Amino acid sequence: MQQLVSGLLRNRKAVIGAVILLLIIVAAFAAPLLSQYSPTARVGRPHQPPSLEHWLGTTRVGRDVFTQLIYGARTSLAVGFGAGLMITLIGTMLGIIAGYKGGVIDEVINFFTNMVLVVPNLPLLLVLAAFIGQASPLVIAVILGLTSWAWGVRVTRAETLSIRQKDFIKSAEMLGEPSWRIMAFEIFPNLISIVGINFIGSVIFAVITEATLEFLGLGDPNTVSWGIMLYNAQNASALSVGAWWDLLSPCIALALLGLSLALINFAIDEIANPRLRTGGRLGRWAALVQAGEGRL
Amino acid sequence: MSFLLRRLAFYLAAFIAAATINFFLPRVMPGDPIQMMFASAGSELSLENLNALKLTFGFIEAPLWQQYLTYLQSVFTGDLGVSIKYFPLPVTELLARALVWTVGLMGLATILSFTCGTLLGALAAWRRGTRLDTIISMSAIFSSSVPAVVISLVMLFIFGYQLGWFPSGYAADPMLDPAFSAQYIGSVIRHGTLPMLTLFIVLVGGFAVTMRNNMINLLGEDYIVMGRAKGLGEGRVMLWYAARNALLPTFSALAIAIGTVLGGSLVTEVVFNYPGLGNVLYQAILARDYPVIQGQLLIMTGAMLVSNFIVDLSYVLLDPRLRKA
Repeated sequence: MQQLVSGLLRNRKAVIGAVILLLIIVAAFAAPLLSQYSPTARVGRPHQPPSLEHWLGTTRVGRDVFTQLIYGARTSLAVGFGAGLMITLIGTMLGIIAGYKGGVIDEVINFFTNMVLVVPNLPLLLVLAAFIGQASPLVIAVILGLTSWAWGVRVTRAETLSIRQKDFIKSAEMLGEPSWRIMAFEIFPNLISIVGINFIGSVIFAVITEATLEFLGLGDPNTVSWGIMLYNAQNASALSVGAWWDLLSPCIALALLGLSLALINFAIDEIANPRLRTGGRLGRWAALVQAGEGRL
Repeated sequence: MSFLLRRLAFYLAAFIAAATINFFLPRVMPGDPIQMMFASAGSELSLENLNALKLTFGFIEAPLWQQYLTYLQSVFTGDLGVSIKYFPLPVTELLARALVWTVGLMGLATILSFTCGTLLGALAAWRRGTRLDTIISMSAIFSSSVPAVVISLVMLFIFGYQLGWFPSGYAADPMLDPAFSAQYIGSVIRHGTLPMLTLFIVLVGGFAVTMRNNMINLLGEDYIVMGRAKGLGEGRVMLWYAARNALLPTFSALAIAIGTVLGGSLVTEVVFNYPGLGNVLYQAILARDYPVIQGQLLIMTGAMLVSNFIVDLSYVLLDPRLRKA
């Protein structure tokens, strides 16, 4: 773990990614200090271009875009990290259990995992969200957590299968360690880099998906978030009336957040795989991204 | 053969699972499911039509399992109900019209991005550590971590509005009648270029990263060294020894990516107002047209399963080990 952190500090990609991420986090926490406006208040004339008074202009209803952006970062970060944690937790637990226990338990978990993998994720989420109605960020985070763990299971299961054969597991079994202890204290620490990559990949996925669902009109229009900003800007035909700042600001914010996390993930992978310095486990993460779990 | 049969059985189970979700969702939500699903129909639906819809979705006076079987029966006989917004257009017909556009857009974008991404990934792996590798990897990370919504909107802003190179919506000039004329086909191409380019950018990174990593893992293998030792040209070793073997796992990534492609094309179509499945789904969500939303899940799951099966078939062709089993 310590090795991972010190390795990350020496990796240029990781540092760039971490700095961007940190800036976004700080802006989110310090939102009331950075802006004098309220994100939901009408503080100016509609669709004013960027100026000293309104750094990123105003929306069609005269809200300050910059203020919405930094308050919206809170939502994106909370949903991203909350759902990401849930996805990783479920995926890692099921993956280790399936890989270590084997037999019927493995068959059952594996069957459901494969099934979840072939039902396309976004349409499924859209159906769920459509029945729920106007989904709040919390609801979105929960349904993301409950539906998107499958790739994590597949990855951790495969790795657990190979670790299970190692001598130190055999000796722990001989010593009579209970199986929960073996899974939690012998296997899990060896999966740290995979779990880390899975976690950050899941955060990216959750941030993107929340924004997408909200952009498509399935979110609660009263929340302040980047997805709702996109939704409002699109509904206000921001591009065709020339109010590019209204639409491009959340776009750039989302791109930066996604990019910063992806850089960190790339770096973790380089450190976990010194043989290649590039590649290896990133392939799994890329597949996670591709599994409809990272890119929508 | 038994490999393919097992896959088929699994796909059938997955399709039934998607239908099961459709069946239970309205029933577990608080409130009256019939009210919820058909409320937006208002007075347009006659009692007779409403009853037909209820029957299709299994809302009958019977135990739950009979309702379930009724619903499955409608699904497997191809009856997905009628659209409430475009009443009385059947959902299947509405989706079939849109499917043509989506398949064209998505198919082309997938083939192009898969080919280019795989080649770029192979090149990056072959020259790993060089500046070329860095450029390709960084672009790939960018392409696969920036949301499709964002890429679509930015492309629309730059090429649709700022430069005005491409039209900003529709699949063809609405003034033209669909026909096999040069004018109409030209219009289709002009309207389709920007969404396709967008989808290409969205997809190409994922393929490149997967290929690059598969191939880097293979480069240490003995047969690569052997190929070089025999004095074969760089290009030949790269393409016929390394890339060819690294392609197999990339193919299974392609199967999974189909779901991604569906999601990506969904968003891209909405942004470019392209009349494919994504746009139909978007309109259905806005109107809370539940039969269409549910039908969409089934069609997209079906599409995903079919493309997975095609990949399975090609796997059997590519990997001789599977043919024996």
